[in-house]
Amino acid sequence: MALPPDETSSRPSLLPLLVWTSPAFPVGAYAYSHGLEWSVESGAVRDAASLRQWLVDLLEHGAPRNDAILLAQAWRAAAALDEAALREVNALALALASSRERRLETSAQGNAFVSAAQAAWPCAALDCLSRNAAGDVAYPVAFGAAAGGHGVDLTEASEAYCLAFIANLVSTAVRLGVLGQTDGQRTTAALLPRIRSLAAFTATTGIEELGTAAFQSDLAALQHETQYSRLFRS
Amino acid sequence: MHRGSQCRLFPLPQTGYPILLSRSAGAIRMGVGKGLPGQFEVVPPFVRAVGEVRACFAALSGRTLPERTYEHGGLRLRFPKVAAGCEAVLINTGGGMAGGDRAVLHFAAGAGADVTVTTQSAEKIYRTQGSASIVEVGLSVASAARLEWLPQETILFNEGQLVRRLDADMAADAALTLVESVTFGRSAMGEMQPRGVFRDSWRIRRGGELVFAEEARLEGNIATTLDRRACGAGARALATFLYIAPDAERHVEGVRAVLDGLRPRGDVMCSIEPARDGTAIEAGITCGASAWNGILVARFGSASPQRLRAALVGLLEALRGRRVPRVWQ
Repeated sequence: MALPPDETSSRPSLLPLLVWTSPAFPVGAYAYSHGLEWSVESGAVRDAASLRQWLVDLLEHGAPRNDAILLAQAWRAAAALDEAALREVNALALALASSRERRLETSAQGNAFVSAAQAAWPCAALDCLSRNAAGDVAYPVAFGAAAGGHGVDLTEASEAYCLAFIANLVSTAVRLGVLGQTDGQRTTAALLPRIRSLAAFTATTGIEELGTAAFQSDLAALQHETQYSRLFRS
Repeated sequence: MHRGSQCRLFPLPQTGYPILLSRSAGAIRMGVGKGLPGQFEVVPPFVRAVGEVRACFAALSGRTLPERTYEHGGLRLRFPKVAAGCEAVLINTGGGMAGGDRAVLHFAAGAGADVTVTTQSAEKIYRTQGSASIVEVGLSVASAARLEWLPQETILFNEGQLVRRLDADMAADAALTLVESVTFGRSAMGEMQPRGVFRDSWRIRRGGELVFAEEARLEGNIATTLDRRACGAGARALATFLYIAPDAERHVEGVRAVLDGLRPRGDVMCSIEPARDGTAIEAGITCGASAWNGILVARFGSASPQRLRAALVGLLEALRGRRVPRVWQ
């Protein structure tokens, strides 16, 4: 039996997250490899096993760790309608970009997310970010602001963001011929527990926990800039 | 600022480990932090060294001179004669930093000044069972000024803990060069599997706007993390070079050419593989450069600290058009 409409609409829902992380939501994630294209070229990532190790390292020590912390900070700022805190975390997220292509990766997706979400999912936090029209918006900040602004659960928002990040890199590796579709799906499935523990950890920590050690991933992003033949923008 | 061997044990606090909160009227307030697991030694404040150096530089009739300097604790600043600009060499008379030691370093280049600050030797971060060694760097670069912060490498001993914070404020038309290089474990002493804490936070503001930030974090079994594929791939030495100036992006191709020359033939395509037995490392170097928004960054990773240092010197000399400070040579 259907629930009364008011009860249905007030129940917390995962549906916004499914929309925002859908490949149909126009952020263009498929264009960015986060330096993975170079890691495949150099041989550091060459099969399902090495891809999985690479992605585990990113979740524990790389950009997704910082992104989840920044997303949580943006979520809290949006939920409290604290515009100054939201602008501050956005400036920090952009400044933390470790190279030109990393900066492009986070700002192009962030700006696209804000435009699309503002049209279909408007909220005060997104208004605040887009009023800062001269500047860019970092992707995890845009995502966290939308989730906080719409009352979506923080841990679930963080899980969805990190899953989308990992699934996009798995898809990148499949397109680069590192592994097949089925092994790609197995890789994503195997990483779910780590995604969940990262989201649980970052939902309860502040920005003083920021910090990465994925130096080879950062170096790969630098070397990708001069890679001879490329499919991806980062 | 090292003062002999490890300090005596004092009663353990109920929770957490001691951290330095602030200095006031010659006394150090101790607070209790939380987060680090295990047994902790509590060091009374009078045993720990607090060193401080502050220096302002001014351009006077075409020359740059130290205008005001302040030295406290075991830190000294010396000014060797150089052909161009003003060079300041920081000396830690204690020879290294023990747990709980704190160094506060502030350098300000006034309008039009041309300043290079370096260190006399590599900074050693000794083994600690208690609190971290803390380094706070503050840099200020006024209009049309040029400041280089080129400390020699930091060597994190096995079980060493370093928490470093760098804040820079620069005018929109100023130029700032930074190099930070760190070696994990003393390989000559057999420290191939170092543990410890390394936390490095940078915040750089240009014209009041945050333009660059860095947050590096290695905690616990540093060697295990550095052996991981996307982390260090076997590296034991890392360095970041940063140049922020209106002309930064113009130099990126030149920097890339220098980096290409530093890599031996055939090395470009392979990353460093972790050594299985901890010794037989065929030390390659991984490096790359990027520029955007008036920022030029180059990063280096190698299993060999010597190899990394040589690469850094090569890059600095090519970009500066003059030799590295004499203490580096």
